[in-house]
Amino acid sequence: MSQIAAGGGPSPGAPATVAVGGRVRDISWWRTPTARRYLFGYTLLAPAVLYVALLVGIPFVFSLYLAVSDASVGVPVARFVGLENFKAALENSAFWTAVRNTVVFTLGAGIMKGLLGTALAFLLIQPFKGRRVVRALVVIPFTLPIAVSVLGWKWMFDSQFSVINWALSRLNLIGAYGSPEWPVWLGQPALALFSVMFVNVWRGFPFSAIVLMAGMTSIPPEIIDAGKVDGATFLQRFRKIIVPMIAPILFIGSAFDTVFTLSDLSIVYLLTNGGPDGATEILPTLAYNTGIKAGALGRGAAISLSLFPLLLPLMILLLRTLRRRQY
Amino acid sequence: MATVAVATPYRAPRTERAKSIRRHVLIYLGLLPFLGLAVFPIFWMLVTALKQEPDLYRMDVVPFWFHLPPTWKNFDFLFHRTSYGDWIVNTMAIAFWVSAITLLTAVPAGYALARLRLPFAENLGIGIFMTYLVPGIILFLPLARVVSTLELQDSWWSLVAVYPTITIPFCTWLLMGFFKTVPFEIEEAAMVDGCGQLGALLRVVLPVSWPGLITAVIFSFTLSMQDFLYALAFVSVSDQKPVPLGVATELIRGDVYFWGSLMAGALLVGVPVAIVYNLFLDKFISGITGAAIK
Repeated sequence: MSQIAAGGGPSPGAPATVAVGGRVRDISWWRTPTARRYLFGYTLLAPAVLYVALLVGIPFVFSLYLAVSDASVGVPVARFVGLENFKAALENSAFWTAVRNTVVFTLGAGIMKGLLGTALAFLLIQPFKGRRVVRALVVIPFTLPIAVSVLGWKWMFDSQFSVINWALSRLNLIGAYGSPEWPVWLGQPALALFSVMFVNVWRGFPFSAIVLMAGMTSIPPEIIDAGKVDGATFLQRFRKIIVPMIAPILFIGSAFDTVFTLSDLSIVYLLTNGGPDGATEILPTLAYNTGIKAGALGRGAAISLSLFPLLLPLMILLLRTLRRRQY
Repeated sequence: MATVAVATPYRAPRTERAKSIRRHVLIYLGLLPFLGLAVFPIFWMLVTALKQEPDLYRMDVVPFWFHLPPTWKNFDFLFHRTSYGDWIVNTMAIAFWVSAITLLTAVPAGYALARLRLPFAENLGIGIFMTYLVPGIILFLPLARVVSTLELQDSWWSLVAVYPTITIPFCTWLLMGFFKTVPFEIEEAAMVDGCGQLGALLRVVLPVSWPGLITAVIFSFTLSMQDFLYALAFVSVSDQKPVPLGVATELIRGDVYFWGSLMAGALLVGVPVAIVYNLFLDKFISGITGAAIK
C-alpha cells in the first residue's frame, strides 16, 4: 500500500522494479538504481532507528522485565517474581489514591485548559493592534522550562509569604495569617491538589490556545461567511462549522497534552512531593519514590507501567489520525 | 440637503473609528486576565530575584515593588556560593552534544524518509515519531539501569545519552516535513552535474536546508531543557547537574529556601530559553499537528 503510494508520484520506476525483482534477482537487481537508492536510504535511516530502538525500544521491553522481577538498586541479580509487583501495587491503598489523583488531575486540568484555551484562541484570532506582542507574552508559561516556573509557583504558594494570600487578605477575602481562614495552598489536602492542577493549567492553556488558533485559521473564512449568510447564529456556527472542522487538530493537541500531563512528575514533585499525606500523590511521583528513592526498581516499574493502559488508547488514536491524514 | 451631503463623508470614518476603538477595548479587556495570569509569575520571580532578603518577608507593605534598594546579591550568591557556574557549563555542554547527536541522526533519517521513496517510509516515519510519545516516566527506571551499565550515573553524559530519545523522534519528523518542501529539481540538477546521491545531499540539499537544521538544533536545546525527570533520576552529584535540577535541589537546604537566589537562578536560564522557544513555537506546533491542518 504505502510502497505503491510512495513510489507512485514522481517515480513510476519504483513499483515496476520491485515487481520484476523476483524474476531477475540473480545479479542485476542489486545494481539497479532503485536497489542502490534503497540501500542508501536505509543506511541513512539506520543511526536514528538504532538509537531509538536501543534507548526507547529495549528499555521499554526491559521495563516489562523489571516489573516482573524483584530488581532493586544495588542488587545486580534479580529473581522472576511473576505478577507479585502488580499484586503488591493493587493491594496498596497509596496506589489507588495515586490512580484517583492522576485521573482527577488529568481530567480536571484538561477541562480547564480546554475552556481557557478556547476563550483565549477566540480573542487571539481577532485582528487587533499589538496581537503579536500579546501572543508572545501569553505563551510564556508554556515556553519556560517547567522546573523553572514551578519554582516560581512554589514561592507564590509559600505558607506564610504567599503573594496570593497577601492580595486576598488585602481584599478581605481570607483571614489573618495563622487563622483557619488563611489558606496554606500546598499544605491542605484539597487546596494542594487544586494548586498542582492550577500550575498544570497555567502551563498548558497557551498550548491549547495556540493549537486551537492553528485549527481556526485553517478554516476558510468563506465557509463561516456562508454560514452567516444562511442565518446561522454564532453558537450554531461554532457547533456546526468550527468544531467539526478543527476537531482533528483539537484532538491531536489534547492527546499530546494529556500524554504529557499524565507523565509529568515535576510539578507535583517540586511543589508537594505527593503530600500532604498522599493528597497529591500521582502515579509518576509514586513510581519515582518507589523506584529510585526506595530503590525498588521492580515495584517502581510496575507502577509506572500501570500508566500504560491510560496512555495506550491515546497513542493508538494519535497513530490512526497521523496515518489517516497522509493520503 | 447640502449639509447632509457634506456631513456624511466626515461622519462615516468617525463611527468606523469609534467602532474599532470599542472593539479593541473589548478585546484588550478580555485578554487582560490571560496576560496577567501568564506574565505575573515571571514579574514576581524577577522582583524576588532582585530584592534584598529582609524585603522579601514583609507582609505589611505592598510586595510588588522594592522597599529596600534592588540588589544583585542573589546572583552573586549563585556564582560564588553554589555550583551555578558548573550547572551552566553542563547545560551548554549537554545542549551541544544532544544537538550534535540529533543532527547526525535525524537529518539523514528525515531526508531518507522524505525523499528516497523507500518502501514503508511513511510507516517508519510514524513509528519513529510515536516513540516521542513514550514518556520518560515509563522509561526512566530501565534507563537508570542502562545508564549504570554504561557507567554514566552521576555524570551529565548520562543526559547526553538519553535526551536524544526525545529529540531524535521529534526532529526526524520535523525535518521529514522540511525536506519534503525542498524542490526535487535542485537535487536532480546536482546529480546530472555528476554528484552522487550522497554528494547531492551534502553539497546541494543541506546548504539550502539550513533553516530546518537550525530549527532542529533549537528543539534539541529547548526540549532537553524541559526535562526534569531524567536529570533528577540519573544525576545526584552537585557539579554534574544541569541548571533546572541544580536550582531546584541545591538552593533548598532542609527547610531553608533561598528564594532570591532560586528565582535568580531559574530566570537566568529560563528567560533565554523561553525567548528562543517563543520564536520557534509555531514550528513546534506545526511539527506535532501540522499535517492535520493540511
